Amino acid sequence: MRSSLLTRSDWLLLIASVALLPWLYGSFWGSTGGMGEEVHIMVDGRELPPISLSKDQTLTIQGSIGPSVLEVANHGIRFISSPCQGKQCIHSGWHTHAGEFAACLPNRVALLITGRESRYDTFNY
Amino acid sequence: MDRTLVATVEDHRIALLAALAITIHIAESALPTPLPGIKPGLANIITIATLCLYGLRTAAWVLMLRVLAGSLLLGTFLSPTFALSFSGAVAALLVLSVARLTPGLGFGAVGYSLLAAMAHMAGQFTVAYWLFIPHPALLQLFPVLMTAAVLFGLVSGIIVATMLKHFR
Repeated sequence: MRSSLLTRSDWLLLIASVALLPWLYGSFWGSTGGMGEEVHIMVDGRELPPISLSKDQTLTIQGSIGPSVLEVANHGIRFISSPCQGKQCIHSGWHTHAGEFAACLPNRVALLITGRESRYDTFNY
Repeated sequence: MDRTLVATVEDHRIALLAALAITIHIAESALPTPLPGIKPGLANIITIATLCLYGLRTAAWVLMLRVLAGSLLLGTFLSPTFALSFSGAVAALLVLSVARLTPGLGFGAVGYSLLAAMAHMAGQFTVAYWLFIPHPALLQLFPVLMTAAVLFGLVSGIIVATMLKHFR
């Protein structure tokens, strides 16, 4: 008689294990890093006073080649417009987590989100 | 007083299987790993095959001897690597004992292999987190490592099941 490789219990266990994985990703990748509380904006090497992420507002920062417009809303921040060519700063979208970093390098405008718990210890370029 | 230590048939069997497992363990340690903590764990094949053929006691001997002698040969005995390997083996053994001794579960080679792989990973991850790197960022690696454990557990389980079919 030709017996199958997996018993009934094996199949059940396999299905349970595979089903466990998305749950693991959801619970370990979902809410780590902590939400950001403040954003530190640097212009041309100078750091501006930190701005709270809880107050919705639109900021216009005068960079080295023109104005960069930043929007603070829903505890996050994004670039709305910038006088650069690549517009990578705008495409990087919303930044909400502590430790996240965004920059418009041509305009020398950078922002770093801080919070109680940082997602990254340090950055190296 | 004449005392001789007689090696039983089971002793020879354990030695043979442990030697096989150690060989696989060392051969595998030469393979580069994509991520720390991820490796196929092919020595698991011998543990599970032993469990299915000769029972829990022999499998426990083979597993613990493999961890011990494997670490001595690789020069990692009592190092952090050994602590991880040892804790993984103990966790796997505990889960295998429960799965084997609880009546009516009806697991085959694939089931045991999956359980052992996942327990091994969870056990060594817990020790890694508590003893060596208690940083929340490490937790992000856990789902990835468990995915690898399920994948490799399944693969080696199928290898064992195929192997055992030729024995019967």
